Amino acid sequence: MESSAPKRWKRYLAVVTERLGIPFVSVLIAIAIASVIIWAAGFDPVAAFSALWKGAFGSGRQIGETMLRSTPLMFTGLAVAYGFRAGLFNIGAEGQLFMGGLAAAYLGIVLAGLPQPLNIIIMLVAAALVGAAWAFIPALLKAKVGAHEVITTMMFTYIARYLVSWLVTGPLKAEGQIPQTKALPTESTLPRLDEMFAFLPDSRVHLGFIIAIVLAVVVWWILKYTTLGYESRAVGYNPWASETSGISVSMTTIKALCISGAFAGLAGATEVMGVHGRLFDQFSSGFGFTGIAVALLAKNNPLGVIFAAILFGALSAGSGTMQLLADVPSKLIFIIQALIIFLVAAEQLAKWLIGWTQKEEAIEHA
Amino acid sequence: MLSDIITPDLFASAIRMATPLALAAIGGTICERSGVVNIALEGMMLVGAFAGVVASMFFGNAWLGVLGAVLAGALMALIHAFASITLRADQVVSGTAINILALGLTGFLMEVVYGHPGTTDSVDRLMPFFSASPSGGGFFGEIWLWTYSIFLTHTPIVYMAILIAVVGQWALYKTTWGLRLRALGEHPRAADTVGINVTRGRYSAVIMSGALGGLAGANLSLEQVGSFTENMTNGRGFIALAANIFGRWTPGGSYGASLLFGFADALQIKLQLFRDVITIPSQFFLMLPYVLTVVVLAGVMGRAVAPAAIGKPYEKG
Repeated sequence: MESSAPKRWKRYLAVVTERLGIPFVSVLIAIAIASVIIWAAGFDPVAAFSALWKGAFGSGRQIGETMLRSTPLMFTGLAVAYGFRAGLFNIGAEGQLFMGGLAAAYLGIVLAGLPQPLNIIIMLVAAALVGAAWAFIPALLKAKVGAHEVITTMMFTYIARYLVSWLVTGPLKAEGQIPQTKALPTESTLPRLDEMFAFLPDSRVHLGFIIAIVLAVVVWWILKYTTLGYESRAVGYNPWASETSGISVSMTTIKALCISGAFAGLAGATEVMGVHGRLFDQFSSGFGFTGIAVALLAKNNPLGVIFAAILFGALSAGSGTMQLLADVPSKLIFIIQALIIFLVAAEQLAKWLIGWTQKEEAIEHA
Repeated sequence: MLSDIITPDLFASAIRMATPLALAAIGGTICERSGVVNIALEGMMLVGAFAGVVASMFFGNAWLGVLGAVLAGALMALIHAFASITLRADQVVSGTAINILALGLTGFLMEVVYGHPGTTDSVDRLMPFFSASPSGGGFFGEIWLWTYSIFLTHTPIVYMAILIAVVGQWALYKTTWGLRLRALGEHPRAADTVGINVTRGRYSAVIMSGALGGLAGANLSLEQVGSFTENMTNGRGFIALAANIFGRWTPGGSYGASLLFGFADALQIKLQLFRDVITIPSQFFLMLPYVLTVVVLAGVMGRAVAPAAIGKPYEKG
């Protein structure tokens, strides 16, 4: 048995590189392909990526901006990842996000005058509930008539967007020309971190960043150590076996999609409470969809979501500087995002590209 | 006032609005009938719209622009086919990636080619076949006016869409191609057993859907507008997906559903003119396709059953 120790270490190593390896390699290949695209379009890839790095991590202010932009992606990434773990593809996180934002924007005005901590808690809880409620009908349809959640949550996303669009141009519109809600009073907003941490001067990063990280750890713990998490994972792995062993697949499905919706709702609330201080049509730049990329890159691991979200947040924060200093259109980051999704999804490709197949056996045995 | 709202041009614009939805929806029908989920119609359409304008500018010919749009849509579909058929990646994930890629690629190339974001320069539009302006007089004159205004004022791709819907409906149920396509999506193993090449069949279905998505994009950019604006599809690919489901995965049904959704859109635009009298918010009309699709999926209007093998990669065993 002792003689197998080195072998065992090799296997552990193989598992670790497999877990971390595919995402890492995918990101590297995506950057390589993006470099070729930049070069082919007549720009300098080295200048582009160094400008991007500078824009994302060049100073305390820029690090804060990266943190700011990664915050909603952590919430939506967790939302999508939690769904995936239960075998559900919540492609409609964007819609639940809109509804969470709506809940926060409405309550923030109604609750004006209450103490800030109380307000924040009520608004976040409400946003999570509304996000969950927005996922409930798709969840119910999935569980009862088998309607695919990809279609229904997508349809609900557009319904939510038009609902918000109507409310901010009509019933909830603040006075003035611009279709938006009234500005939230200070006690309904999230405190900014630059006031607490000296190394983040003048950045707009807010408490939501810390809430997101705490949530990621809690979700990790739920999935690993609680019955709820176990049932979700079991249904995700094999619904038939779960049903046979006494887990209600339809109940678990409904719970999982609603929990996923709750996380997405928090993304909307923290954007409204921390960044914009109000609700308007375009308050989300597709965070729900980028959340899919985040979850995939993290391989649906809640702790991995933190890092994947920071990567995409950095791309977003740095893209402006890239355009400014290297003339490369900032839209490039969408191309990088898409490439990463492809590469992670088509694992075989990445494996093949790095000659991983030889190690396959070692991994399978571990 | 009703006669101000219900005019020939309301129906004509319903047909016009239905066209990009219908083309993409029929693309979705063909793709999903072969067993491959296609949520990437939005991206294929967007790339088609952009490539159409660029090709039209480059060749100075709008028809070559249409060709460019169709090829570009097909190329995006080829990526989807490679990922989901050959690499057996999750089809929804691959579709999501295509949509993001389309947004990035068109936005990026827009700035590279035109030097600025937003909207491209205008190119020649495809014009309607007929350009007479009938003058209504008497009962028959009125009928002629309505017929002409509703059916004969359109651009070429609008008629192509109707033709594709009719031919598609016939082909799906009356030809060997249709039978094989349906077999691929219902029971690929059985199809394989009787000698149908599942991989090739699915590849051609996915590429066909991309070509139709590209044509839908060309209708938007080269017929309706005459230029390309970033994200100009604005969710139409998802309405098309809805129309495909609403039409129960048939070409004829897809066209019918698109017509309904197109009518809702046309009515919404028309009603904006009467904002002071009719106060139904336009957003409610815009929501309609999505709400109806959820209703259909809920089984309220009879079951909508997707092809049995949809979304599952086929492994030869």
